[in-house]
Amino acid sequence: MTSQRTAGRLSRILAMLPWVIANPGVGVDEVCDRFGYTRGELASDLELVFVCGLPGYGPGDLMVAYIDDDRVIVELADYFADPVRLSPPEALTLLAAGMALISSGQAPAALERAVAKLQRVVLPEDGDALVVDLSEPPLVDVLRKAAVTGRAVEITYTAISNAATTVRVVEPWAVFSTLGNWYVRGHCRLAGAERVFRVDRVKDARLTDSPFVPPSEPPRPEIGYTPGAEDVGAVIRLGQRARWVAEYYPVEVVDDDEAGLTVRFSASDPLVVARLLLRLGQSAELVSGPEIAAARDTLRRRIIARYEPA
Amino acid sequence: MQKVIERILNLLAFLLTAERPVTADEIRSTVAGYEQSTDDAFHRMFERDKDLIRRLGIPLEVKPTDSWQVDQGYVVERGSYALPDPELTDDERTALWLAAEVVRLGGQVSAPEALFKLGGAPRGGSGEPLAASLGGGGADLETVFLALVEHRILRFDYGGKLRRVAPYGLVHRRGHWYLVGPDAGVVKVFRMDRVVEVTVGDEPEAFTRPAGFAASEFIPETPWEAGGEELTARVVFDPAMAWWARRQIGARGEITDLPDGGIDATIPVANPEAFIGWLIGFDDAAELVEPDELRQRFLDRVKGI
Repeated sequence: MTSQRTAGRLSRILAMLPWVIANPGVGVDEVCDRFGYTRGELASDLELVFVCGLPGYGPGDLMVAYIDDDRVIVELADYFADPVRLSPPEALTLLAAGMALISSGQAPAALERAVAKLQRVVLPEDGDALVVDLSEPPLVDVLRKAAVTGRAVEITYTAISNAATTVRVVEPWAVFSTLGNWYVRGHCRLAGAERVFRVDRVKDARLTDSPFVPPSEPPRPEIGYTPGAEDVGAVIRLGQRARWVAEYYPVEVVDDDEAGLTVRFSASDPLVVARLLLRLGQSAELVSGPEIAAARDTLRRRIIARYEPA
Repeated sequence: MQKVIERILNLLAFLLTAERPVTADEIRSTVAGYEQSTDDAFHRMFERDKDLIRRLGIPLEVKPTDSWQVDQGYVVERGSYALPDPELTDDERTALWLAAEVVRLGGQVSAPEALFKLGGAPRGGSGEPLAASLGGGGADLETVFLALVEHRILRFDYGGKLRRVAPYGLVHRRGHWYLVGPDAGVVKVFRMDRVVEVTVGDEPEAFTRPAGFAASEFIPETPWEAGGEELTARVVFDPAMAWWARRQIGARGEITDLPDGGIDATIPVANPEAFIGWLIGFDDAAELVEPDELRQRFLDRVKGI
């Protein structure tokens, strides 16, 4: 943990120095803004740089770095005039984020230019070797427009739990995608409470003229799932072939050995876990969780009844 | 922490100006911060520092100090240390920063640190009510991307078989990462979450990627089209869920409307496992009619046998 922080601090110093060297007389505020420094952090990093340099370590060997009259001064540090190249994982993180947004059709022109320039540097010959496609299902556009303009939408929604279809008016705060699925979060006027809806289960969406004011601090567009107080829990044993479940669902790993994983699963809807259990078949075993066992058995009976009518 | 950073700044200053490989002994006797330790303490400290330096993306290499190859020394070459300048403008930096704020890829990388290397990002207003997660990411994905950038051969286990693949492409689609490349002469698609025990070849530039290779064309439209079998399934979807099925069936499926508002769909299936998994999501609002063998397999799965 400590070394992570050390690496972060060192990395920022090695990025800040070239910028100051290339922009002599640059102001303290700009450096702070650009590199996410507070004034105090910048001052202590500059003090640290001031005592480093080349063997001999006397005046003329050490770098010069200080703040003078709200300007950042760095001298005798020409060997740090270039920023460090991006590591491949860093390049991947930036390119993937940029490409994802571009593929969703929501990117400003500046992002398209930035990604093209990075591609030329990182993948000079194979710009098309990395592809990130975050294609949106129908209706994401309407929902986002509603969120941006602060107008409620009327949606026809088929619940994942009981397949019941309802028409409801929703005040959407944010639209987000996680692991290939899109969601909309907001206040549901029918339920009179905050709700999250899966966009692919929205059959229809219509922008209304009814305005709404989003909460002053809406929950950050949430990635992943936070267990709620009314969730049901289960302990599930995943065989080797079902290990992927731990990456795709919000589980807590209880035990990990050669033969597989034991996870604690928590869900607001037992049927979601029941479907997963049927799907996994013999590569998973429900260790405990009475509500989920009941949901699984009911689902099993319903499907069998359709295929093998009595 | 302060001491470590001072020591490493001194070491990098020394290596970047030395322009020749320098031995560990020379570093110990010359660079401030390394001098007072015992042999053991020096080596432990030096090993930790080397790890940290490499983690920052700095290419610290080991080379012989002379043509007799008696001693090995450390060298950081300016050319490979320095970032080739992509010449971003400030509005482009801000756009990248915003993109990295809303689109997350798991793993150890800090997007702000990467952006600092590109000249930092003047903060811009966000306001976009949008967020996306591209999945776990993780060490294997980073390894595969490194091999792709440096044209190194990958070896890994996939479905219990050892593969040797030249990474031609890495594609994210519908929540999954896919690796595309030739395995024993045939271009194949591998789902990254099923790729295990990845090792990367020592030799860079070990293959040439065909010009204009379009990796994304190899990624099937639906999960059940990625596989080795050739089946055609017929499924009847009830009126209540027909619209949901219609959205997901894909261009290769054929759909016939039924009088009651349901649909009768003929769907090519290359991966029965994925297909069965998808159908279970419809509960009892769908029925797999044909072929018998697949219907039985679906039913066995539901029964847990």
